Amino acid sequence: MARRRSTSISSGRPKWFVYGVLAIVLATAIFPFYWSFLIGSGDQSTIYATNFSWIPGGNFIHNATEVLKNPAVNFWKALGNSVIVSTTTAITTVVLSTLAGFAFAKLRFRGSGVLLVAVIATMAVPVQLGVVPLYILMQKFGWTGSLGAVIIPALVTAFGVFWMTQYLSQSLPTELIEAARVDGCSMIRTFWHVGLTAARPAAAMLFLFTFVTTWNNFFWPFIVLDQNNPTLPVALSLLQANYFVDYSLVLAGVLLATVPLLLLFIFAGKQLVSGIMQGAVKG
Amino acid sequence: MSSTLTKPDRPTEEQRRAGGNAKLTWRQRRGHWDVKYSPYLYIAPFFLVFAVTGLFPILYTAFISTQDWDLVRNTGSYVGFEHFAWVLQDREFWIALRNTFSIFLFSSVPQIIVATVIAAMLDQNLRAKTFWRMGVLLPYVVAPVAVSLIFSNMFGDKSGLVNTLLGDIGINPILWHTDVIPSHIAIATMVNFRWTGYNALILLAAMQAIPRDLFEAAAIDGAGAMRRFWSVTIPQIRPTMVFVIITSTIGGLQIFDEPRMYDTFGLGGANKQWLTITMYLYNTGWGKFNFGRAAAVAWILFLIIVSISLVNFFLTQRLIASDTVAKKVKPKRVKASKGGK
Amino acid sequence: MHLLHKGVNVSLSRRNKTAGIAAGAAVFALSVAACSSSGDANPSDSASGSTSDEQITLTVATFNDFGYTQDLLDEYTALHPNITVVPTVAATSNDARTNYFAKLGAGGLADVEAIEVDWLPEVMQYSDMLADLTSDDTTGRWLDWKTAAATDADGRLIGYGTDIGPEAVCYNADLFAAAGLPTDPTEVASLLKGGWDTYFQVGQQYMDAGGNAWFDGAGATYQGMINQVAAAYEDPDTGALTVADNAEVKDIYDQVTTAASTMSAHLSQWSDDWYAALANNEFATMLCPGWMLGVIQGAAPDTTSWNVADVFPGGGGNWGGSYLTVPANGAHVEEAKALADWLTAPEQQLKALANAGTFPSQVDALSDEASLNAAFASGDEPTKATYFNSDTLGTIFSNRANAITVSPFKGALYFQVNDAMQNALTRVEDGSQDATTSWNQFLTEVSAIG
Repeated sequence: MARRRSTSISSGRPKWFVYGVLAIVLATAIFPFYWSFLIGSGDQSTIYATNFSWIPGGNFIHNATEVLKNPAVNFWKALGNSVIVSTTTAITTVVLSTLAGFAFAKLRFRGSGVLLVAVIATMAVPVQLGVVPLYILMQKFGWTGSLGAVIIPALVTAFGVFWMTQYLSQSLPTELIEAARVDGCSMIRTFWHVGLTAARPAAAMLFLFTFVTTWNNFFWPFIVLDQNNPTLPVALSLLQANYFVDYSLVLAGVLLATVPLLLLFIFAGKQLVSGIMQGAVKG
Repeated sequence: MSSTLTKPDRPTEEQRRAGGNAKLTWRQRRGHWDVKYSPYLYIAPFFLVFAVTGLFPILYTAFISTQDWDLVRNTGSYVGFEHFAWVLQDREFWIALRNTFSIFLFSSVPQIIVATVIAAMLDQNLRAKTFWRMGVLLPYVVAPVAVSLIFSNMFGDKSGLVNTLLGDIGINPILWHTDVIPSHIAIATMVNFRWTGYNALILLAAMQAIPRDLFEAAAIDGAGAMRRFWSVTIPQIRPTMVFVIITSTIGGLQIFDEPRMYDTFGLGGANKQWLTITMYLYNTGWGKFNFGRAAAVAWILFLIIVSISLVNFFLTQRLIASDTVAKKVKPKRVKASKGGK
Repeated sequence: MHLLHKGVNVSLSRRNKTAGIAAGAAVFALSVAACSSSGDANPSDSASGSTSDEQITLTVATFNDFGYTQDLLDEYTALHPNITVVPTVAATSNDARTNYFAKLGAGGLADVEAIEVDWLPEVMQYSDMLADLTSDDTTGRWLDWKTAAATDADGRLIGYGTDIGPEAVCYNADLFAAAGLPTDPTEVASLLKGGWDTYFQVGQQYMDAGGNAWFDGAGATYQGMINQVAAAYEDPDTGALTVADNAEVKDIYDQVTTAASTMSAHLSQWSDDWYAALANNEFATMLCPGWMLGVIQGAAPDTTSWNVADVFPGGGGNWGGSYLTVPANGAHVEEAKALADWLTAPEQQLKALANAGTFPSQVDALSDEASLNAAFASGDEPTKATYFNSDTLGTIFSNRANAITVSPFKGALYFQVNDAMQNALTRVEDGSQDATTSWNQFLTEVSAIG
């Protein structure tokens, strides 16, 4: 697929300065991880030390073990819950957003304009007040304490719908849909074969974003979940339940919780990026 | 709102046939229903979830904004638009509005420009593409607690890393937590750190979808790299640009996490130097337990965001659409967002 | 919904150093439990909740560290085999506060819920939604002012006192020695004995001898001073704001800002700079409630120069402390009351002190000096007794608790006013305003409250 790019435009590889700029960007991106590791491999006073050392200490394994075996933190249970919640949310968000985005971008129906504006307007509603009415609702439904209370409100987002709409309106040629329809495909089959294929790069991004956001989400799970059934951020926050917070433990915990995301990046990253490449409109 | 973000496409052959023919076979009729009603089915999940978990909170907020509301007892008495009037005469509200716009400008503008540049770089024929692309998204993965620790460490007034470095080159320490503009810059830095790579990847996905023959055609016409970028890339990714600008606007005007994490108290500074509207809203509700007034702030903010987004939308639409080269080279097979008549 | 993607949290309490950091998007702060884990949080069950041999689970929600270890809770199960106690812990008092008020009306709080004195005035407005904990043996169990603050106008006691924060003075012996001041705790206590004038005079002496800074910041010092005023901001009878006309408040403001101009380290408490200064001996004294010992030891583990003097300017003072409440709509109100009663009994308060450094509010526990001293000498090495070079920390804080004579009135607006005041002090400390300008802005802000 990479061959798609004609040699007549980009004569060979980009120049060194492109790599230089990207290397700086990457260094900035990696810095927090390294910094977290510096603190997480030290002890409680490392973070307040006057002569800050750029060389990691030797306590990381010790700190990580402390976190893992802390019975109150319940790390493995929380990890399992976070995987369930993030995976479910990311998948449903991608599927339902793509479906809606396909309709908004490519299908003609009465009221589509107004409805799309309604979708976008929902993003403009400030969120800080929504917690209480939402909690009341969850309580009424009897969902509090279960993972459903975290998953169900996040099944599909206005952000995802808007993103898919914009992406598909740009990248999916209407002619492809018409061709599929002429071939006798029903609308849903057209969506499945044509829409989903074209949406793949954007869907991959949306999956990654939704997964990460859900993974790091603290406040709502904190309010609505039982501590015996927590997600990772809720469980790890226990490390801060003290008069003096030992940040070497906190950051060791943070790094442990980030490992699955990094694995997702490494294993899915290749997939996702090639998705971006292939998803581009073919001729 | 009179215009939509993407105009609906022309009716398909099938639609025309279905609409124009009085005598329909069963199959045709089924196809007709399919075309006419299935779109509603596709958008239904969003609106269903929204109706359950979004609409109720919004209506609830609208209701209590007219009430002297007791959150715990779930009771209130009607006060009309008193809360709105109070908020609009409150000095802190206007300071918060000023800060919000200032931080918004310090973050969104550089962020979108840099994100576009990074995306353009990533769109080239790089070695180890995956590595670079995933790399720019890394800041998005960092847990907020780590972000807040790092930045409070960097922007400490006395023992912070930035001031230490400035001191080494003989510059006086900057009072990051006292002076208004430095505090906004520091907060904008936190925002930009987290969201630039994210927006870059979104724009990259859009750039990847541009048919390569457009570039070839432009190159044959003698357009250089910059010219191709302005005349092909930018117009082609217009819907995604609109998306990035609108979501950055909405996100920027609702900025909350970063200014809250900027100091230990999360109240916007001793002289409200970095108090933003959503913090003002939150402090009014959860700090002072005046939920009626907080709901009024929420609605005022909602109206501000919607109007800014509209202005933004028309501006970006016009700016980007004013480029004419793109229209010339646009191949007829590619459906741009503005459907031709 | 995108609304779930944002964290929200407020920090009002200065006791919670982690609040800002843990807050916000803050993926980290912590979980307070929802309903009881047995899934029987339905209020309609409460009628059947009193049979004594029914197997039930009680949830106890706390924050920070109350010292309620699993071992301690298991002891209760040993005494009551039909009851299992499940703890849930919030990282900060602010997380707990948000959770408390989000669920108090809607339902879903734990069977026993801890509250902090900082938000007790807000809780008192809903005292009718909490179980009345008065019983025959609650009279005289706690220090009078501790009980009085949790008793509503109808005489209902809604919280069992857990810990208190009697204040002493912590000082850095090395810095004292360098400035030619005595270093022995007894001598320091007699040196500082007296009012705030004395404290600041000795401070001037320290500064004249070339000392770096006498105290950490104006805000923390002001807090110690204002807590000795019976009615600082509001009229105890009507709840009306009186701060603008209260000469006592203005005097304290003037005194502390004047002192701060020459002898403050100009640090905002709980900021990174503050922690770093603590570790690096950048100021000589700080006002020290019992729970502060853990903070000092945590931030400056490598020094041995911090000591505690059995003295507090102006007599006595309290900073912080908590209660256990029982929401009236819980499933097992009677059992929850019994558990809260047991947790706040002298034996358990002493165990909690040993576990977490939370100083008892129980009269019987406070008079047991041997056990108090022993509690400070137990736990992880180095113990607080070792770190602070004293075998009598228990005696010191017991004396400090008994020296408290004033129970400051804190009404519903107390913390809004106090936040405005803390901001005013910060503006003077950071040099952005002079004392007069800042005071006038404080008055303007106060007039907008309410």
